[in-house]
Amino acid sequence: MSFAYAAALAVALLVAAPFIAHLLQRRRADERDFPPARLVAPSPPVARRRRHIDDRALYAVRTAAVLALALLGATPFVRCSSLALGRQGGASIALAIVLDDSLSMLAQVDQKTRWDRALRAADDLVDGAREGDSVAVVLAGSPPRIALAPTTDLAAARGVVRSLSPSHRATDLEGALELAQSIVHGLPQSDRRVVLLSDLADGHPDAPPLGETGDVPLWIPLTDLTAPAPNCAVLRADRQRDRASVRVACFPAGESRRRSIEVVAGDKVVGRAPLPDEAAALDVGVDLTGAAGDLVARVTGNDAIAADDVAPVLATTGDLTIAIVADPAGAKLVTGGAPPVEQALASLERDIRLRPLPLLPDRLEDLNGLAGMVIEDPPGFTPEARRSLTAWIDRGGVVLLALGPHAPLAPLGANFEPLVPGSIAWAPSPSPGLDDKASILFGAAAGGLLDIRPRGRASIDLNALGSGAQVTARWKDGEPWLIERPLGRGFVFLLTVPTSPDESDLALRPAFLMLLDRVVDATRTRNGAYRITVGEAWAFEGAKSLDVVGPQKAKLRVTDEPGRKMVVPDRVGVYEITLDQDKLTRVVAASEKEVDERPRRVSEKAVSPSMGDTRAKVDLSPYLAVALLALLVGELALRLRARKTPSLDAGHASPTG
Amino acid sequence: MPLRSIDWGSIAPLRLRARALADGVYAGAHRSLRRGPGVEFGGHREYVPGDDLRWLDHRALLRHDKLLVREFETETDRGLRLIVDASASMAFRGSQAPASKFAFAALLAAALARIALASGDPVGLEWIGGGSVRPLPAMSGREAFERVVGALESASAGGDLRLDGTALDQAFGAIARRAKRGTIIVLLSDLIDLPDEALDRFAALGLGGRVLLAVQILDHDELTFPFQGTVRLRALEGSSVVETDADATREHYLAKLDAIAADWSANLTHHGGQFVRASTSDDPAEIIRRAVSAVAGRFTHGVDE
Repeated sequence: MSFAYAAALAVALLVAAPFIAHLLQRRRADERDFPPARLVAPSPPVARRRRHIDDRALYAVRTAAVLALALLGATPFVRCSSLALGRQGGASIALAIVLDDSLSMLAQVDQKTRWDRALRAADDLVDGAREGDSVAVVLAGSPPRIALAPTTDLAAARGVVRSLSPSHRATDLEGALELAQSIVHGLPQSDRRVVLLSDLADGHPDAPPLGETGDVPLWIPLTDLTAPAPNCAVLRADRQRDRASVRVACFPAGESRRRSIEVVAGDKVVGRAPLPDEAAALDVGVDLTGAAGDLVARVTGNDAIAADDVAPVLATTGDLTIAIVADPAGAKLVTGGAPPVEQALASLERDIRLRPLPLLPDRLEDLNGLAGMVIEDPPGFTPEARRSLTAWIDRGGVVLLALGPHAPLAPLGANFEPLVPGSIAWAPSPSPGLDDKASILFGAAAGGLLDIRPRGRASIDLNALGSGAQVTARWKDGEPWLIERPLGRGFVFLLTVPTSPDESDLALRPAFLMLLDRVVDATRTRNGAYRITVGEAWAFEGAKSLDVVGPQKAKLRVTDEPGRKMVVPDRVGVYEITLDQDKLTRVVAASEKEVDERPRRVSEKAVSPSMGDTRAKVDLSPYLAVALLALLVGELALRLRARKTPSLDAGHASPTG
Repeated sequence: MPLRSIDWGSIAPLRLRARALADGVYAGAHRSLRRGPGVEFGGHREYVPGDDLRWLDHRALLRHDKLLVREFETETDRGLRLIVDASASMAFRGSQAPASKFAFAALLAAALARIALASGDPVGLEWIGGGSVRPLPAMSGREAFERVVGALESASAGGDLRLDGTALDQAFGAIARRAKRGTIIVLLSDLIDLPDEALDRFAALGLGGRVLLAVQILDHDELTFPFQGTVRLRALEGSSVVETDADATREHYLAKLDAIAADWSANLTHHGGQFVRASTSDDPAEIIRRAVSAVAGRFTHGVDE
């Protein structure tokens, strides 16, 4: 500190001068002997006024002016505790700020979340940028996204940074750094930097250190964000009959000590299970006998991240009705009992509700309660049935249509449109069994289909199905065995053989159960509560309107793509979806690897002090000069006002006492 | 209230200053205050050291076993009775004054006494307030001056006249009882802290053909109120402390001070008395001259009739 700077700072001491002068003036006057004192009239108004500051506004303005003057003189010493980049010879910088907006950044340490600190640092970096610098912002929550494309408009960059909010996503540091390096790589500035503001917890603690690759220097200034923050998370909870399976992960593993899992319905605890002393990641079973209503699983106690302590309990089975439309006469078994497709569905133990129907209902109202449908060897659909069936599928209905010998026998006016446009032929199968590629779909169970010998098979005009149809299994001669095609928001499985044992032995093969399981999955996907990991997208094929409301009653932004609408939820919780006036419920769960807070290793040069400083010299001279000018103008105005309104007491003219 | 020693300043030694002052002013210019022949018995009083032994009443000594002296009065007694204010306020000496107000009053009293004694008139001394004060009965002779000066020099200032109701009684009561017609009664005081009834009681002394003269002695600071800004003023008598803006209250103070003087002057004039205001910064010879002139004028205008 030079003498000049010290002297400038010493000017600030003058701020006390007016007040000291006032104190001296208001000090009790010296007492002196005066015999005729009783003849002297006291003058309390004047004396009292002298004890107070007469014009407080003027006093404040003058005090502020003195302070501003001192600061103006000592500006080189005014430093702010903020992040600043080290510049190479003062050249402009192309800066990409990688901001981690993952769930682990919500960990609270010392009354502030990691996200708050990272965002403050990003704000400091943008504030420290100069004219000519280019700034970009990349978010490291999975999947990495560009929040701000490279721009030299620092005001816009500042606005974008300050508008960012954290998410519950997983972390993808590799992808975010790669994205950041790619967007600054082509910028004209010779000095390019990538600054990573993260807790470095991406679930890959043993991966190669960050910053060792890439031609753009990486700086990781906030290494203290990696300080561990104890946390337990409820990742998901599934109900199967009277038992819930709750997935829990804790970091460190010992954080689970003396904590437990509770399942609550409203405010009532309906199930509880203690956690083991160390629970890095495990499934905990909770007895839910007699529990009803909307259930929520939560971990007791408090930890660094509260957002992941609760998860809704999903009924992975139940409340899903699938109708089996089959002619009772043709589908019955010689040995008695339900048709084989019905028995097979029941054997899946997916807790679905089966409803046998002899005929396809003509009215849409009768179909609304159904989530899926298996139609066995129908002789076409009447116009009324087609209309209601089309509307039902368009809303998300799933159909497994097993074509049989009755398909070509459709009466006048009956056909299979729009499920199967065009004509359908029925003929004996020239070659038994499916080709080898069926194993892609059915795995080892596909072996049972390789020698299937039906009495006949249906032939479908593939060209009439359009481009959306996909043949997922074929006969050995290449003819389609199973065709899958989306229709509206629904889905159609076209099977070219019936399931009746009288026509084929398909129902006796293990792959048949897998086929039905695939149908049930598709049905649940389009109709029941469906869970994804945060950061993944929901795609609604053929949706005309879509509204998604998140856990905080926030409406999500819907992306329109050709033929579908997409939504990417970024927070854990339950989402209410209005899809073409249909109400759906979706659940978003946290990523398990996000709970693992072990930091990713970083290279030595990424944390080198030469990359920047956590203290910035801020030149306040222009602001102080403007402030000083404003204060002088204010003082002039106050003095002018005081002159226009003269004091009633002539002895009361001092502005400060 | 504690006694205050007297700041004599440049007035000391009193004896010499008073003698020089009286001799300078009235060297051959005074007239005798004694008028008319004949002496009649005026009563007894206790002997005090210094009394003329010729007037010691031996018969009374034998009869009462007390030393009593006989007092004689004439119908034309022009004796001088000095009443000196020795209250605490008289100990004040301002920044520009040569001495305290009491010292100045003592100088005037001693000079007047010498003038009177030089004419053969008896001089008595009474006190208002003060400490270590010795009242002196009317006496004449060469030693009378020394006794007056000794009494003045040995006194100290003190007392709050507004609280001490007996102070006036002791001074005025003795004079009212003993002073005869034609006696000149001179009050030397600042008149500031005298009780409210002081003026009426002093004026009442003028009944019976006595001549009254009040000399108000003030300090230069009291007369001019030279302070500026906010001052805290503490009275020497009483506990009043006043904080005031001197500039704002000066005129008001001077008006009240003048009102006191005007009140005394008017009342004394009404009772045939005279009023003189003096500053301790004034030339004491001029004050003596004004005092003697006032008294002489009183006689010139036929007060006796």
